[in-house]
Amino acid sequence: MTVRTLFVAGLLATSLCGCKLVATGSSGSGGAAADPIAELVETTFDAKLVPALTEKAADLATLRGAIKDGLDKAGESQGVKVGGAGGGWNFAVKGSGTIVDENRASKAAVAEIDLDGDGAADATLQLGPVIKGSALRDTTNLYDFSTFRDQIEYAKLGRALNDKAVSKLPAADAPLKGKRVNFLGAMVIRSGSEKPLVMPVSIEVAP
Amino acid sequence: MKLKNRLLMSVVALGIASAMSGGAFAADTIAIITPSHDNPFFKAEADGAAAKAKELGYETMVLVHDDDANKQNELFDSAIAAGVKAIILDNAGADASVAAVQKAKDKSIPSFLIDREITTTGVAVSQIVSNNYQGAQLGAEEFVKLMGEKGNYAELLGKESDTNAGIRSQGYHDVIDQYSDLKSVAQQTANWSQTEAYTVMESILQAHPDIKGVISGNDTMAMGAYAALEAAGRKDVIVVGFDGSNDVRDSIKNGGIKATVLQPAYQQAQNAVEQADKFIKTGKTGLEEKQLMDCILINADNASKLETFALSE
Repeated sequence: MTVRTLFVAGLLATSLCGCKLVATGSSGSGGAAADPIAELVETTFDAKLVPALTEKAADLATLRGAIKDGLDKAGESQGVKVGGAGGGWNFAVKGSGTIVDENRASKAAVAEIDLDGDGAADATLQLGPVIKGSALRDTTNLYDFSTFRDQIEYAKLGRALNDKAVSKLPAADAPLKGKRVNFLGAMVIRSGSEKPLVMPVSIEVAP
Repeated sequence: MKLKNRLLMSVVALGIASAMSGGAFAADTIAIITPSHDNPFFKAEADGAAAKAKELGYETMVLVHDDDANKQNELFDSAIAAGVKAIILDNAGADASVAAVQKAKDKSIPSFLIDREITTTGVAVSQIVSNNYQGAQLGAEEFVKLMGEKGNYAELLGKESDTNAGIRSQGYHDVIDQYSDLKSVAQQTANWSQTEAYTVMESILQAHPDIKGVISGNDTMAMGAYAALEAAGRKDVIVVGFDGSNDVRDSIKNGGIKATVLQPAYQQAQNAVEQADKFIKTGKTGLEEKQLMDCILINADNASKLETFALSE
């Protein structure tokens, strides 16, 4: 609680001066040189977010079946509803499977994974650097919008978490196609028929 | 003088309230204060709130502040004097509105904000806003895809004093700027205005005839830009808007504008009234103050399901 209050105070302190944090640090914002969003990501990503996802993660192959049977039912038991009517159910997910296709040509690079061994892709893993959505921010209760000054600050956190995750994923020079991998991540699902788009925090190639 | 003014406003407000209600019953009243209904977006908001209030048995007092914080302040005085039970507000300025909302709170009248945030928490009971940043990212992702991840483009910005103009632009750029082959050749404001966007687009076209796409901060500007492109025989230019208006829906269906992003304005206003009702009856909403509602991408695939800022199943 105190930590949260301090964090908000920090956010206000930096955002109220209406300035961008510049490399020289000469903005005169009272010595608050550190970017509070970057700091929050540094202090929570490994220490809290990854453990929280690990603890909540549902096996994606099983969850997919449940989602097809009824998204709301699956969501109520295993997900978090975010974003009102236009939003969707957020899930922490894990799984293992074979990468059947990989698109590194787009900046929004992705790998297609086959979870049930039939050779067809069942889900898409985002590889970045351009990432869609903010599932990593929204799937746990670690980051509460009410404690942020406005949408921009909250959005910066979503982006920073995505960037942090991308930095831990296999790089383009380590092709994944044909490899068997284990992954952990988060996703948002808006309709039972959509193909899951997962933002991983880890992709490990099975030995 | 001031007091007299205020009393006069109250009388006017009461007049409005009883005119709206038919004046037959002494039911509880909810005030609904928004920008001018000239923009169909704000009309959809007010209509959504009023419909839900009626459904829940309230009278309504529907007022517009025309984006004037002083006028908004007077409307709050009127609503307070009229003894409304709650205020639904799309505010006239993130900083300037805090005092008005606080004034109502001091008189034990709760406010429920929609569409735009204010800069202070703990003053309004709820702030239910569209996730403009998320919506802008959806629009930008679609724009990037339509552009094939490359080419020259222009951006039309909204009114600078409206925080949503900045949020949307930032959401656009956080996506687009990651593609180095997409080049911004012009970035100009058209103040949310269709006619201004037409003129601005004409001059951008003259300076940059090689332009391939236009991303716009709202739908009215997208309509103006597309009209200018059409007049210049440049229907090949990709235009993407924001709001989900019926005008842009029709343009999408006719192969004009390529995409927009729906803000669920009608639903948002209804949610605000539901929360007000719960708060009036139980003293709490059971929800966080600040609530984000996701926007939805509208393109040729789903445009036919869009009607008055709501998407049917």
